[in-house]
Amino acid sequence: MTAALRPRPAHSPLMVLGTLGIVAALSVLTSVMLGSVPLSPGEVRAVFLGQGSDLARMLILDLRLPRTLAAFATGGLLAVAGALMQVLLRNPLADPYVLGISGGAAVGALLAMISGLGLAWVSGSAFAGALLSTLIVFGLAHGTGSWTPTRLLLTGVVVAAGWGAVITFLLAVRPSPELPGMLYWLMGDLAHARGNALPWLTLFVIIALALPLGRSLNVLARGPLQAAVLGVPVRRLEWTVYLLAALVTAVAVTTAGTIGFVGLIIPHMLRLVIGNDQRLLLPASALAGGILLTLADTLARTIIAPEQLPVGVITAMLGVPVFLFLLYRSRT
Amino acid sequence: MTAGAEGSGSGSGPAPAGARAPRRPVPWPALVLWLCLPFAQAGASERGIVVVDDRGRSVELAEPAQRIVSLAPHLTELLFAVGAADRLVATVAHADFPAAAREIPRIGTATQLDLERLMAARPDLIIAWDSGSPRAPLERLEHLGLTIYYSEPSDFGGIGKDLRRLGRLTGSDDLAERAAKDFEDAIDALRARYADRPPVTIFYQVWDQPLMTVNDAHLIGEAIRLCGGRNVFGHLEVLVPRPGRETVLAADPEAIVSGGPGEDRPDWLEPWEHWTGLTAVRRDNLFFIPPSLIQRHTPRIAEGTRMLCEALETARSRRGPETPP
Amino acid sequence: MSAALLTLEGLVIDIPGRAAGMALDFPVLPGQCWGLLGPNGAGKTTLLHTLAGLRRPRAGRVLLDGADLHRVPRRRVAQRLGLVFQDHYDGFPSTVLETALIGRHPFLRAWNMETAEDHDLARRALRQMDLAALAGRQVQTLSGGERQRLALATLLTQDPPLWLLDEPTNHLDLHHQVAVLDLVHQEVAAQRRGAVLALHDLNLAATYCTHLVLMYPDGGMCWGLTEEIFHVQALERLFQQKLAVMDTPQGTWVRPVPGA
Repeated sequence: MTAALRPRPAHSPLMVLGTLGIVAALSVLTSVMLGSVPLSPGEVRAVFLGQGSDLARMLILDLRLPRTLAAFATGGLLAVAGALMQVLLRNPLADPYVLGISGGAAVGALLAMISGLGLAWVSGSAFAGALLSTLIVFGLAHGTGSWTPTRLLLTGVVVAAGWGAVITFLLAVRPSPELPGMLYWLMGDLAHARGNALPWLTLFVIIALALPLGRSLNVLARGPLQAAVLGVPVRRLEWTVYLLAALVTAVAVTTAGTIGFVGLIIPHMLRLVIGNDQRLLLPASALAGGILLTLADTLARTIIAPEQLPVGVITAMLGVPVFLFLLYRSRT
Repeated sequence: MTAGAEGSGSGSGPAPAGARAPRRPVPWPALVLWLCLPFAQAGASERGIVVVDDRGRSVELAEPAQRIVSLAPHLTELLFAVGAADRLVATVAHADFPAAAREIPRIGTATQLDLERLMAARPDLIIAWDSGSPRAPLERLEHLGLTIYYSEPSDFGGIGKDLRRLGRLTGSDDLAERAAKDFEDAIDALRARYADRPPVTIFYQVWDQPLMTVNDAHLIGEAIRLCGGRNVFGHLEVLVPRPGRETVLAADPEAIVSGGPGEDRPDWLEPWEHWTGLTAVRRDNLFFIPPSLIQRHTPRIAEGTRMLCEALETARSRRGPETPP
Repeated sequence: MSAALLTLEGLVIDIPGRAAGMALDFPVLPGQCWGLLGPNGAGKTTLLHTLAGLRRPRAGRVLLDGADLHRVPRRRVAQRLGLVFQDHYDGFPSTVLETALIGRHPFLRAWNMETAEDHDLARRALRQMDLAALAGRQVQTLSGGERQRLALATLLTQDPPLWLLDEPTNHLDLHHQVAVLDLVHQEVAAQRRGAVLALHDLNLAATYCTHLVLMYPDGGMCWGLTEEIFHVQALERLFQQKLAVMDTPQGTWVRPVPGA
């Protein structure tokens, strides 16, 4: 990037991303230092230097660090998916789950649990359910000829409601021993996050794929006809964004269940501060989403230890006041 | 058993210094176990203790467990019953029997574990509930090398087995054997006395909103059979069916036995009293059994089963000259 | 004779639910300003969108620089023609300058950021449209007229050789209307551009357009040089309205006759 570019006085991209990066690093550090078993900063430092007691090493390297990284990646994925959905549907109120993806994933996971399959199967089944839901919605919304965002949204909402009914049905008729495991899917829970490679890989890939599409997305946000006449391949771009957003959401839901609020609020909040340039909004969303979920999860597992709160409750409690404050400030 | 054996798969973390099991010169309990009990897989070897859990996994310890974590209230009860309570370092919420269990530090609930506190307790043996404990965290603990015993007794025999195996793992074989024997004797006595009595049709109520009962495969179903009862919903395939109230009315059981929201709250019997057409109501065969005595898979289920058998006997005594089918 | 920017070949526009109209057959050459006249529903917007490649015709085709429009890569099309819509969609926040800047999109590769030159072009366009002072304003706060001028500024930033304008004078003050049409006329007359405008105002069409297309609601079409087409009978038939004509030294003027 050359210097004489974005003439926005207060928010150069470098400053925004740099600030978010620093906050991200701090939030990861905080999350690793806090837990239901108190560890002194000295002990934490010792672990990172390769020393430290066995217990401290195990707590930090085997429990807290993987969970923190999973939280960060999942938060980033949800926020990016939310931003993409909002562009796709040209609606700032869209979130990653609006097209029924989380419902499909939950049904897939529940069916696998009911069949008594192992955890790897549950994750795979959740993923398959998410993609299936994506195809159903897209196929139904396509109908005869072109689909509009409104049609897509309506179809998605109806399909999501359908999945909700299936979930309620499954919960009602299945024996209770499986119930707690099933409920996790609906509340979202990072305690059950398994493996970090996939979420992080997906996060990097989605940013790498979405950045070159950024300007086209900016133009698309001005309306499909305007975008088409400026040379944007609208239909192809919308398909691509839809599939990418669905994939990203599927990975997030498979990792940590359906954690709400992050995908809706983060892009919205950032937009109030840095505007709607997708080239900046997408990476910023990834960082800010990661920060929010990391901090929320840290609180969820420490506030009433040894009990835990559902992390979705905390994301709402953190996100709503900040969002309202920004909204109020931008009213001028 | 050799105190200095490296042994296989003990827990991770620093072993508590100096806390080794006392040597036993002649393994009489082990011989008794070998000769008297049908499960040949469990045994004491020179390498350490090897036991098969209810999942069919082999659980191995170099020496009897010194720091035990129990992940369900009924498992805590079992550990108290085999005399291993002094080595219980942590358990979960609602572990309230016996009273001393309330003093044990908590690490969450049966479904939501605080892994950090669990690990900080440095257990060398974790007793988990196969169908109730959350799978993903336990998988992670297995990966980290912790020893986990999964318990899932599905019948009376299973409780005895669990007691004996836990006794093995905790080096409490004598106490465990005694507890198991007492339990089995009590059950056998009840069976001898009541199993062949004239059958009484019964509806057992596990929960009120929604209405939940059990089928014949359930442990409580077995208790009903043992008492000479016939579970009106026993033939259903689901382990914990949810019949509507109408279905119960249609089945018209001779006796209704229920648990309740607390140990001394027979609240759930009240709604049935309105249905004066029911045989059970007419003959006043509405019985309450404190849930912890029959719904937990522990030796106390013998007490609960005794109460159940006496309830059914009372129901028999209330049969008039007309003998019901 | 310079090459045609756009050629209509047997073009029949597609209006759903209406029978096919007449075919259009004419080139748009540099230096020509074509005006589309007709009542609402005649298909002016449809025709403009078809010429821009946004809609398929019912029959016939459009040639861009001699090649079938739908075979030319989209980017190339966007570099050769631009369209100013009647309605403007502003779902997301954006500044005036950013909105004008998107006109540079067809000329930038995926990984490029906008250069200083692009910014200069956009600012110049804003100046031409008398919007320079509003460069940092949010588009959602603009008045109808300002928004219209911004749409034109975006076109100026895009700077294509062929301009398609759908009722560019809507919402504008009189002096802005004249300024815009003066600009169009100037760009076209200097032989640098071609233009196709849909207009409601008969007199402005007659003043600024070199050629006219009369689009009848039944699908009939009639086109040619303004002097040849701009006749009172044809216009009365087109608009189903009695008109009065006045000849002046500046040209012929028409006005509607009230009550007739």
